[in-house]
Amino acid sequence: MAVSVAKQGYELGHGHDEHDHEEVIYQETRDMRLLGFVLFLCSDVVLFSSFIFAYIYLRTTVAPTWPPIMDGHQLPRLDTAFAAVNSVVLFGSGVTMHYAMEGWKHGNKGRFNLFMLFTIILGSGFLGGQAYEYAHAQIGGWSGSIFGASFFTLTGMHGFHVFVGVVYLAVLWWQTSRTNLYDTHRYFGLTAGTLYWHFVDVIWVALFFLFYLW
Amino acid sequence: MPFREDQLAQRVVKPKTNLGPGFWPITALIVVVSAVMVYLVETSPLPIGLVQAGGPADSVDALFRFLGATGAVIFNVVTIYTIYFAIVFRAPKGAPPNSIGVQIHDAPVLEFWWTAIPTILVVILSIYSVKIWADLQNTAGDVLTVEAIGYQFGFQFRYPKLTTPTSELHLPVGTPTTIHVTSRSTDVIHGFWIPEFRQKADMVPGLVNTIRITPTRIGTYRIICSEFCGVAHGGMKGTLIVQSQQDFDKWFAQQGGQHAGGGGGIPLSAGTVSAGQALFGQKCSVCHSVGPFSQKIVGPGLGQIFNDPAHPKLVDGAAPTPQDAAKIIHDGYSGDIGTMPSAQVNGLSNPDIANLVAYLASLSKK
Amino acid sequence: MATLAPGVKTGPYHAVLDHIHPEPTSFIRKYIFSIDHKIIGIQYMITAGLFFIIAGLLAEIIRTQLLSPTGAVVSAATFNQIYSMHGTTMVWFVVIPLLTGAFGNFVMPLQIGARDVAFPWLNLVSYWIFPVAGVLLFSSFLIGAPDAGWTEYPPISLQGPPGTSMWCIAVFLVGISSTLTGINFTVTILKMRAPGMTFTRMPLFVWAQFATSPMLLIATTALNGALAALFLERQFGIPFYNPAHGGSPVLWQHMFWFYSHPAVYIMILPAFGFISEILSTFSRKPVFGYKMIAFSTVAIALLSFAVWAHHMFTSGMVPWLQLPFMIITMFIAIPTGIKIFSWMATLWGGSIRWTTAMLFATGFLITFTFGGLTGFFLAAVPADYHEHGSYFVVAHLHYVLFGGSMMGLFAAIYYWFPKMCGRMMSEKLGLWHFWLVFIGFNGTFIPLHWLGLLGMPRRVAIYDPQYQFWNVVASSFSYIMTFAILLMFINILVSLRSGKKSGPNPWGARTLEWMISSPPPYYNFKKIPAVLATPYDFGNPLPYIGLDAAPGATEATPTHTSHPVPTY
Ligand code: HEA
Ligand code: HEA
Ligand code: HEC
Ligand code: CUA
Ligand SMILES: [Cu+2]
Repeated sequence: MAVSVAKQGYELGHGHDEHDHEEVIYQETRDMRLLGFVLFLCSDVVLFSSFIFAYIYLRTTVAPTWPPIMDGHQLPRLDTAFAAVNSVVLFGSGVTMHYAMEGWKHGNKGRFNLFMLFTIILGSGFLGGQAYEYAHAQIGGWSGSIFGASFFTLTGMHGFHVFVGVVYLAVLWWQTSRTNLYDTHRYFGLTAGTLYWHFVDVIWVALFFLFYLW
Repeated sequence: MPFREDQLAQRVVKPKTNLGPGFWPITALIVVVSAVMVYLVETSPLPIGLVQAGGPADSVDALFRFLGATGAVIFNVVTIYTIYFAIVFRAPKGAPPNSIGVQIHDAPVLEFWWTAIPTILVVILSIYSVKIWADLQNTAGDVLTVEAIGYQFGFQFRYPKLTTPTSELHLPVGTPTTIHVTSRSTDVIHGFWIPEFRQKADMVPGLVNTIRITPTRIGTYRIICSEFCGVAHGGMKGTLIVQSQQDFDKWFAQQGGQHAGGGGGIPLSAGTVSAGQALFGQKCSVCHSVGPFSQKIVGPGLGQIFNDPAHPKLVDGAAPTPQDAAKIIHDGYSGDIGTMPSAQVNGLSNPDIANLVAYLASLSKK
Repeated sequence: MATLAPGVKTGPYHAVLDHIHPEPTSFIRKYIFSIDHKIIGIQYMITAGLFFIIAGLLAEIIRTQLLSPTGAVVSAATFNQIYSMHGTTMVWFVVIPLLTGAFGNFVMPLQIGARDVAFPWLNLVSYWIFPVAGVLLFSSFLIGAPDAGWTEYPPISLQGPPGTSMWCIAVFLVGISSTLTGINFTVTILKMRAPGMTFTRMPLFVWAQFATSPMLLIATTALNGALAALFLERQFGIPFYNPAHGGSPVLWQHMFWFYSHPAVYIMILPAFGFISEILSTFSRKPVFGYKMIAFSTVAIALLSFAVWAHHMFTSGMVPWLQLPFMIITMFIAIPTGIKIFSWMATLWGGSIRWTTAMLFATGFLITFTFGGLTGFFLAAVPADYHEHGSYFVVAHLHYVLFGGSMMGLFAAIYYWFPKMCGRMMSEKLGLWHFWLVFIGFNGTFIPLHWLGLLGMPRRVAIYDPQYQFWNVVASSFSYIMTFAILLMFINILVSLRSGKKSGPNPWGARTLEWMISSPPPYYNFKKIPAVLATPYDFGNPLPYIGLDAAPGATEATPTHTSHPVPTY
């Protein structure tokens, strides 16, 4: 039970190597930011969850039929096939993001650049697909029914996240080519970008299931 | 130069075994005060100071008494000991500035008990509450079924056999009554509170909540809106009159009771399917699906209302003819499933009803 | 510069804490857009204090209106706006910011021996969102303030005045501010404790913040979802809540209470933390049952996410669902009771100094217990059928919020004022403040229980004449309470200028914030101290080494130091 000073490694006036010290500071700062970022993502999950809850609640306990009836006729279901293709595009961007990071970690800048490009293109492609879907969904618009309300709010929020992600990745990409903020050892910004991107993917899995398969 | 916790621990002052001067007399005081309070609460006929006009006020009051008695004891224990400790253990005048208290950190036995006793109390109280709750769920009702509808800013009531809603709620004494409360579908949330019965339910548009009471005391009681509903919320009141069966019958007859509803006279031939479909989407689909009878939301599915072999009669027992369906839509109906609001509540005109019936008929043909 | 050994992995110690940033010199960077947690804490305190005055005066308008059954001063429409703004302001703009933003910011980093919070810039953002949101909220009076209560149930809130949308934005913004604070504090407590400050050596106020911060970031975000939907529906007709368009008003209630029930514990757990600190210091005893208190704090935080529907027993949910919600709600009484009893045992055998802070902390025990017990009355579903929506609920919520959170805050103000400002507050005025508040508060809110049970609904501008007597009693006492609170403000203002100098540790307390000068220097600790044991052992020497300015302590010779002696 004895907790001695020595055990704590708490030594006063102990000199140390400047470089070591900086490294420790870097690591600890990074860990703190990482934790903070993960917590931010948690709160974002809750934000999505609250709308997902609303959707499930409206669909299961309030709506008489699903898709609901609007102006006397039942709304059609969404186009699952198209969304599936679009999902593959988004998940594909998750994969390319992964390879981009692998490339970065191994110092392979060429590979990083290539896969970053893929990621950004795929992400933008997904947004394009979503825009197309919005233009063609026959579910009565955003304010037409609870279906439209849940669908457009949730996927819109998600789309906004993807959009922010694409911009974020573009900024990171620019930073890696024009600044030396990151190297193969220190790349917190990239880690955060990857986490965010994968987070956006995971949210889409839930949305895809809830809107197209259920 | 290591600094060790275990060395420090030896310097902790041994606790005094003495509980403090006058501890036991104070404990005795708590017991006596608590006993008196429990006695007063338990024997008081009206623990909340309001008459009981019928069931289930008595069960709720019983629960209230129990909660009150337990709460009083707990409050006495906390308050009296706290004040007592506060006085006895104050640092005496002229105590050295560095004087300290008894250095104890915990006392597992004590902590066990003050976890265990509240736990037991909570378990008892929750079992008792569940029991009263179950009693309320199983209270008799249904001998008379009334529908109470809130609107900005008033209440109205519909009796199964009356065409027009009434503005007062009259109940015959001793009759188990079910009250289905709701609000007009385009209105806001109101509350239906009858304090003398200790009952309340929110009146939510599109949703029917149920209260069951058995009035036992003739008199006039308040119905209070208990959910904020707009500027005149404070003035939103209704009247509940409990009267003898004879008086009730007299009143009922005056209201035009026993006359079967006005659905019979609605001309149905002019109804159009598309208009009916539109109306249905707006006003009915909250409670009705267009599936088979069994596909219930609040009310039954209406998709095959006129030719459902699994359900040969309408909910009111009539044959499934367009006229009878129109009657239900016009008058509303309260049965085993719940309460179907009347055309007035749903905001339907006679041509609307004709359109709806035409639409329902078109569904049944498919 | 001699610093601590880097790379230490055994404790929570982090080398990064060692950085001392240069103190800003410009006034703006120092006092306006400061990133110093202490300045931000004080900024929160001043801002929330102003909001408290406004919200309190609104409450006095409520009480004055209710002097007469027909409404003495304002129209019903205005009255509705007033109590809605009163509730909203008190909850989101007074109590939560004071407990987390003000005291959390000022005290918590000091107590864990840190130089600042984890993300000082984020902290600045959190703070500055808050007054902006407040200004938005109050400017809604210009266009018609929200009038459907702080709970804003649709459909009535969909028809509310234009200010209701402003309300959505304002509360959304404070929500974001809280979420950011939650993230910041969670990381701070997990990563920035001084070496040797293990979880079982954390002061209990830190434990309270540690339990509260994740609640802030989870529950608040859920509310933000609900608010966004309400805003969309009001402004663009996106159907979520309106039954006339296929939505569900009950959906809002679920989403709102999923946040707001945890929020009521956000509003009490930090106050519990104050009580632990203050009772221990002035009893000059270790907090009794430290581990049980810490554990029950976490238990309450967890349970609070599973009870929200107890606000909805009459709203119309599946009946059997009422039971789990009722039973879990009741079980919260157990961890809360553990705390109450532990605090009583902390008093027992103490050598109690009756300062104002101590009086408030003790008063808290009594008033909060009363409020908790009436909460128990509400939790029992059949009883709630009668009590819901009545003045009984109003009485309960003021007993826990005023008798709990506010009493805790008053105690904390008297306790930490010397640390914040380097001067003592007047104990004499403090005594008057305490006794008048205690009498005024109980006199105001006790009669309201009675009124509720007799059938007086809440949120009414006019009422039946038979309720007038007790309403007049309540209102009269509320004026006493107002006067008492005025005394506190006077006390603060006077003491700021001419209070006795306090020195670093006037109360003889033992947590880390008292080991440095008052007010603390910009960098807090010249060296990050190491923590060797729990802070509360008055019989022991101070368990810190490496402190540069511990009162009476010589550096690195802890066994020298006896426990601190009060100097007030
Ligand atoms: C600080 C804020 C706070 C706190 C801590 C609490 C604590 C509790 N509250 Fe309260 N509550 C509110 C703030 C708070 N509440 C507000 C603001 C509202 C109204 C919202 C609105 O509609 O505007 C409300 C409303 C409210 C309702 C809804 C009423 C209604 O509208 O119908 C209910 C119902 O269950 C409830 C219950 C409880 C319970 C059981 C506790 C428990 O946590 C209390 C636990 C404490 C004790 C029980 C005392 C100490 C324990 C012991 C000494 C041990 C022994 C005890 C026993 C064995 C019983 N509260
Ligand atoms: C922490 C929260 C908190 C606090 C502290 C208070 C404090 C008070 N509250 Fe409030 N109240 C709520 C939270 C709170 N309330 C909530 C959530 C509601 C529900 C709202 C709703 O229904 O939606 C409510 C509702 C509510 C009602 C019911 C309204 C209704 O249903 O119609 C009433 C009525 O009496 C009331 C009264 C009071 C009073 C008299 C005080 C007093 O304690 C106030 C005392 C404080 C002061 C008077 C300020 C002192 C300032 C000065 C003296 C000025 C000094 C000046 C300078 C220095 C320049 N409150
Ligand atoms: C608040 C909910 C609600 C709304 C809105 C509502 N109904 Fe009903 N309806 C019910 C319930 C409940 C019943 C079953 C009553 C019973 O048998 O207890 C019912 C029964 C019926 C029946 C009889 C079904 C049968 O098989 O006998 C018809 C017809 C009907 N409703 C038509 C309508 C139409 C048309 C509308 C729209 C204008 C409508 N309802 C709106 C709740 C509702
Ligand atoms: Cu109707 Cu309040
Ligand atoms: Cu609650």
